[in-house]
Amino acid sequence: MLFQWGMRQQKKRMDVKQEGSDYSGEASDVPQEPLSAELAVNIDIIRQKTGESSDVIIRRFALGQKWQIKAAIIFVDGLVDEKNVYEFVLTPLLQASFPLALEEKERFQWIEKKLAAVGGVKHISDWGKLFFELFSGATVMLIDGTPFAVSASTKGGEYRSIEEPQTQIAVRGPREGFTESLRANTAMIRRRIRNPNLWLETMQIGTVTQTDVAIMYIKGIVNDGIVKEVRERLRRIDIDSVLESGYIEQLIEDQTFTTFPTTYHTERPDIVAANLLEGRVAVFVEGTPFVLLAPAVFIQFFQAVEDYYARFDIATALRFLRVLIFFISLVAPAIYIAATTFHQEMIPTQLVIAIAAQREAVPFPGFVEALVMEVTFEILREAGVRLPRAVGQAVSIVGALVIGQAAVEAGFVSSAMVIVVSITAIASFATPSFAIAISARLIRFGLMFLAAMFGFYGIMMGILAMILHLCSLRSFGVPYMSPLAPFIPSNAGDTLFRVPTWMFRERPRLINQKNIVRQSGDQKPEPPAPSRQEKGDGA
Amino acid sequence: MKRRIAIFVLLVVCTGMLAGCWSKKELTDLAFIIAVGLDKTKDGKYLASFQVVNPGNVAGATQRGGGAAGVPVSIYASTGDSLVEASRKASQKLSRLPYYAHTNLVVIGEEVAREGLDGVFDALERNNQFRTTARLVIAHGHSAQDVLTVLTPVDKISANQIIKTLEFSEMAWGQTMNVDVWQVIRDLSSPGRNPVVTGVKIEGNPTRGKRQTNVQSSVPDARVSLDGLALFKNGRLVKWVNGPTARGVVWVLDRIKQTNVTIPWNGKQEAIGFRTVRAKTDVEAEFKGGRPSISVHIGAEGDISEVLTMVHLNDPAVLLRLEKELDRHIENEVKQAIVSAQRVRTDVFGFGDAVHRAAPRLWKKIQNEWHDRYFPELDVTVTADIYIRRTGLRNKPYMEK
Repeated sequence: MLFQWGMRQQKKRMDVKQEGSDYSGEASDVPQEPLSAELAVNIDIIRQKTGESSDVIIRRFALGQKWQIKAAIIFVDGLVDEKNVYEFVLTPLLQASFPLALEEKERFQWIEKKLAAVGGVKHISDWGKLFFELFSGATVMLIDGTPFAVSASTKGGEYRSIEEPQTQIAVRGPREGFTESLRANTAMIRRRIRNPNLWLETMQIGTVTQTDVAIMYIKGIVNDGIVKEVRERLRRIDIDSVLESGYIEQLIEDQTFTTFPTTYHTERPDIVAANLLEGRVAVFVEGTPFVLLAPAVFIQFFQAVEDYYARFDIATALRFLRVLIFFISLVAPAIYIAATTFHQEMIPTQLVIAIAAQREAVPFPGFVEALVMEVTFEILREAGVRLPRAVGQAVSIVGALVIGQAAVEAGFVSSAMVIVVSITAIASFATPSFAIAISARLIRFGLMFLAAMFGFYGIMMGILAMILHLCSLRSFGVPYMSPLAPFIPSNAGDTLFRVPTWMFRERPRLINQKNIVRQSGDQKPEPPAPSRQEKGDGA
Repeated sequence: MKRRIAIFVLLVVCTGMLAGCWSKKELTDLAFIIAVGLDKTKDGKYLASFQVVNPGNVAGATQRGGGAAGVPVSIYASTGDSLVEASRKASQKLSRLPYYAHTNLVVIGEEVAREGLDGVFDALERNNQFRTTARLVIAHGHSAQDVLTVLTPVDKISANQIIKTLEFSEMAWGQTMNVDVWQVIRDLSSPGRNPVVTGVKIEGNPTRGKRQTNVQSSVPDARVSLDGLALFKNGRLVKWVNGPTARGVVWVLDRIKQTNVTIPWNGKQEAIGFRTVRAKTDVEAEFKGGRPSISVHIGAEGDISEVLTMVHLNDPAVLLRLEKELDRHIENEVKQAIVSAQRVRTDVFGFGDAVHRAAPRLWKKIQNEWHDRYFPELDVTVTADIYIRRTGLRNKPYMEK
């Protein structure tokens, strides 16, 4: 019965897909009406539509030898580089003599020639396009007597400069992180992959915000099916606004009801470049430094960028440590609960007596004790993340008192519990990807409940269910647990282990499917064979 | 549809809630029984003593409340026709659930041991909490309860004190053995081997040993110490062996790790000490004319640990002579042990098992009479092969002019 229900749901979903395909990128509340031929009318319409916003600058001037032709340029203050507007748009027009008798088409060509210094000159005949260009940072020019406008690209304005990324910090590796400017972000990738096959597709998503969203991939490496799927899913989006890549992520991910992220996000250009080279697709969103990568696999969240910059033995050791850390942050409190309430025989005698002694004064059962502490810790962390820096320090002092000695001395919790909470906390901070750490955080509470009800048996049930769930997940058609399940031996070198770089012969098979070979084999570095001369000397 | 699924999920959650927690036991509701003692009362009932840890008073574990003011263990005793009955009865005195998973020591009173161990271990082996890896000792000359009541200074919990003494004494001295309950059960049920169990005794005054003052003095009023090996026959304690004879038993059982053997030299008694570092004993059964005989071969190597007489240790010939002397000395020790076991007609060495392995068919015929008829007359050849690896950090003794 459940199965049938699933089928029906799937059918329904497919119907939706077809319906949603008549996507239009135009803003719905600006009609696609043509422009008027009269300048005054056009300017009035602009004033009225923008609510006479003060940052929409309308500058009137006149053209022609006798200044007989009225014209105006319109731009949005702050979005344009004003120097460009005056130097390369206004000045050339004012200095030239405007030919009166030209046809509409010839007029446009004339203006385009005059504005060659700025470039990006477009012919606009309807209002929708005019406003879109205007709010993208273009300068729009209107001339009396012509029913069209001309826009010139004068993008500019203030952006946060390129800084070191705040997340995914690496000791060794590039220091630059993405910014809020989509163009700057794509340029950072271009700089890393100098190849014409690096393709970029841009579209606008958000009926109100008209946000630029770009997908980037390397033609020839990427699996075209995945590009098509990403494009399709983006097309299907019909939302009023896109303020962060998280909006996109939630609208294109395969599974909503899972705590595990099925797309990867990063603010490091080197990670994006590396993933593009593995055949993934990157989704850039204007206004956020976080770039999405799809498809994502589980093990990807344990691959820190430094794994590839450090030598393989160190990288492998750290990879193991990270998987261990994930498990600790998942099960540490659950194991404490299970061991102290069900399986006292599993704890070494000395330790169980020590824990029992600490628990003598604690009035709560082990589960409540653990829950209180874990919740307290989560509160502290949440407070620490959201608070302004100056107040944050106060929180950490109070937190140290609460989670520390004071709670123990007050008889609220035992000091063993404090250790468990601290280990869990540190472990969840040490997980390289915040996205996976936060899902472990949620699952941890579930496991604690199970541990309180069924002991180790419950923990095993929970972990088993989690693994089953992980194996059932897909990210853009790629099994989430690959290359572990299904096991792909040639890709297994970058999972729990990180084999030496010269052994990375293949790209992930399930993601790529076609262009699999990454580099030639037999690249093991070796010292040169000793020459005969040296041999003779040695003898 | 959504409603149905919601109900389904709710039911699953409910079953979880209903089934869960039934076996939950909070740490503060458990009485950790660290040692069990077994004696007999005058009217023939079992007297079981339970050494319960008082977690708040165990040093190191204390955070607050009491501290080292109280005693770390407390003894609960009760009587009954069986061990289980006695244990259940003890709940009248205990405020917590008795918990046997951390019971590491079983002390049997000498009286019980002399009457027979049959049936004592069944309750222990059957219990799902109790571990048969717990150590077993026999209270030598005292009741088991007395042994458990003595407070000990270094390891606060006296059961731990006894267990660690057993472990380290076997390792360093080799005159006692660390015997687990399962080993005794195995030996009791094996026709070719009888159990050997280490004895413990109280040195000093048992009554004053119960008091906190016992651990506040550098020389306690009462101390628990290991004392000899108890040889069993048909589940009954028949003989205590001590000193070198006890070590002879341990040699044959291949349980010697390190020990110190002193031999006479230059006419001086106990002149040269030898410390074994590695030892291995092989027991093999041989047959001469259908009659089994046993050969025991001991191979050991070690260092000279002490020299109290003039000897030229840098002369290889002297070392060879020393080795010969050591061989002879150890052979004697072992022979003595075998003779004393033969005298009470109990094969504690597992010679019967060796015969069983070598000639299973013959064993079937003789196994019932093994201990009483064959073992006492068994021809046992003992050979030792000692190798002196080093002479310690110096060659010549400083007394040498």
